[in-house]
Amino acid sequence: MDKSIISNIVILACLVLVQVLVCNNIMLFNVAMAFVFIYVIIRLPMDLSVNWLLTWAFFSGLTVDAFADTPGVNSLACTLLAMLKRPMLYAYIPRDDRTKNIVPSLSSLGFAVYGKYLLSMSTVYCLLAFTIEYFNFADVREIVIMSVASAVLTFLILLGVDSLMARKDH
Amino acid sequence: MRNILNFIFRYSKWFVFTFYVLTSCILLVDNNVYQQSVYLTSANGLTGNIYGLWAQVTGYFHLKTINESLQAANADLQNQVLNLKSQMSELRIAKDDSLIESKNLPRFGYVAAAVINNNTRHPRNYFTINRGRLDGIEPGMGVVDQNGIVGIVNVSGDHMSRVISLLNETQRFSVKLKGSSFIGSLNWKGRDATIGYVEEIPRHAVYKTGDTIVTSGYSTTFPEGIPVGIVLNRVHSDDDSFFTFKVRLISDFKALSTVRVIKDVYKSEIDSLATFDIKTE
Repeated sequence: MDKSIISNIVILACLVLVQVLVCNNIMLFNVAMAFVFIYVIIRLPMDLSVNWLLTWAFFSGLTVDAFADTPGVNSLACTLLAMLKRPMLYAYIPRDDRTKNIVPSLSSLGFAVYGKYLLSMSTVYCLLAFTIEYFNFADVREIVIMSVASAVLTFLILLGVDSLMARKDH
Repeated sequence: MRNILNFIFRYSKWFVFTFYVLTSCILLVDNNVYQQSVYLTSANGLTGNIYGLWAQVTGYFHLKTINESLQAANADLQNQVLNLKSQMSELRIAKDDSLIESKNLPRFGYVAAAVINNNTRHPRNYFTINRGRLDGIEPGMGVVDQNGIVGIVNVSGDHMSRVISLLNETQRFSVKLKGSSFIGSLNWKGRDATIGYVEEIPRHAVYKTGDTIVTSGYSTTFPEGIPVGIVLNRVHSDDDSFFTFKVRLISDFKALSTVRVIKDVYKSEIDSLATFDIKTE
């Protein structure tokens, strides 16, 4: 358990750096932006208590906010995402599996389930983040386009990140 | 008592959730809490250092365009120097007759700084520079690059400062039409980093497309006459008694690299004059 927490902290630190130094500066076609740092929230084991999950999510969001000077945007979106994590995953797996301690990943869930779970999480996160930040600023159509495009980009990149992790685990 | 404890334990996740959501909302809505704490901005030590290191790596990419605009600015300055020299030699003759000795010291000083982190895609954009309180930077100072104005210092750490970019929907700048006294206020309305809007220009203002918009000098933040943008066209205005101009911004915000922070020698004097009435009452 301790080992997995430390490895998650290291992964989070790397992803936050990638997020603030690279991803935050790239907006593909002026609509699509990748949120890679939410990977750890998606990956944290299901037996971790909700309180810890929320704390983890809030502080990872706050760190990105401090770097990007977007006060509250990512911390709020991350907290809401963490709250939705369990219902979202449980919607895709059989009832019997819900008692097991699952570490959501491509290798543990298979592409069908993990793909759906990852895409839902990215879509929800992008919708939340863009709505929170651009609420008074852009119209609904623009927010939806940005969210969907960003969700697809985030999904593809996180699939890649996850297969990198799988290779490391082996 | 036991029931209360049970209740709290049972629903602890909702308490934690509510706490984090409320904290985020306070950060989101209340700009003051946020602006007073350096730690939560990109002006804090850790963030600043990481951005500083990264900027050393990526700083090379924009060198070509920056070099070109610097050369243009340099040529312009050389022309001005030549003009001023000739004017000075004429004036020197006149001055010999004068009884008044000029004691004019330059009112504005400049501190050069490098932009180590920059954003243009948010509704409220900020950028970070590698100079802070120890270099004499204070919140409220104006920031210009080689082309024109780019922002106002907002938070100062010891070695880093966060600057409110001109591309920030909450910030307004006092500007005027060059060569006239028609004052307006410059505001950015989003998405396009090259376009701004100048509002509240009086209707009787005489203008033509291509006129330059410059700073008005009605504050201690910017001296008068620093270029801001070029008038593209007049757009519909909410208030019939004023013009609104669409303006192409002169500075390239996507390639900010070296900027200068403006220090007004008379700032404290002017500020104390502004509060004089309040104190004496």
